Amino acid sequence: MATINANFTLTSDIGSYGMTVQNDMTMTKAGSTTGLDKATGLVRKTLTSTNEVDLLTQGAGVVADVAVDTFSSKLYIKNVNSDSSEYFTVGLGKASTGAAKEDFSVADSAERSVELGRLYSGDFMIIPWDAASDENDVFVKPSVATNTVIEYMVFFE
Amino acid sequence: MATTTASLTITSADLVGDALSLSSTKELHKAGTTTGLEQTTGMTTLHLTATTQLDIFPVLPATPAGQNKQAWVYICNKATDETFYITVSIAATNIGRLYAGDYLFMPYSQIAQKADIEITPNASAASTGIDVEYTMIHEGLTYPTSGD
Repeated sequence: MATINANFTLTSDIGSYGMTVQNDMTMTKAGSTTGLDKATGLVRKTLTSTNEVDLLTQGAGVVADVAVDTFSSKLYIKNVNSDSSEYFTVGLGKASTGAAKEDFSVADSAERSVELGRLYSGDFMIIPWDAASDENDVFVKPSVATNTVIEYMVFFE
Repeated sequence: MATTTASLTITSADLVGDALSLSSTKELHKAGTTTGLEQTTGMTTLHLTATTQLDIFPVLPATPAGQNKQAWVYICNKATDETFYITVSIAATNIGRLYAGDYLFMPYSQIAQKADIEITPNASAASTGIDVEYTMIHEGLTYPTSGD
């Protein structure tokens, strides 16, 4: 077993009282105190079009060998560009097919997807990833066709 | 303008052959600008005692005014029992499970109707009760009107 710590802090002078959040998460296997012991490594990818592409595809033996959704995994993604107006969208859904996207209220289609949010230059995110669901490929879509550099890493059991 | 700074440091001495240390720090800005976000929901603490799926950020109207404005969501499972978890989902699509002490920090686009963010405790957590904290920092959050 490994010990992986993810220390998060958020400080702000927002509002009249400001806000401070500090949390040190030790990444553990599902329902246990045993640490996660697998990772993809830090992947760096440059995208040169505004096409939507799958960053990670769900399922065993693909990228993160997370066979069932009772396993634990954490996904870190960062936009390492420097232009504050450029971003890429991050979403969850079935594999990109190039076909028109269907609204996520559609129950079970090949193009069902949901947008989580946008990572502008320098932004990062960390989420748990239900990598076993067939709706949970992770896709990204750059806002510009010039180089968009993405870094990501998955920690899993 | 407010200044809000998020930092994340991931470290491990024994995950791989060499020590892992990964750090990111970023000021949170309005979409496409270098102007800081100025609004927040504040930090909310809930004590949940049922497995009912709850909207912590609500179902949006058909054309949300906050669509594509920048927003950040932080959710933390404050439980200490490692078997207690909450499932976090958006628009009924699972993002993943937050086990005891776990958190997430992610952008939120408020893209369209039904893009609500939900949490669901597991049965053992609900039977004992589970504390969850969450907040959003944003440049414009769309709330449903009384008619929605």
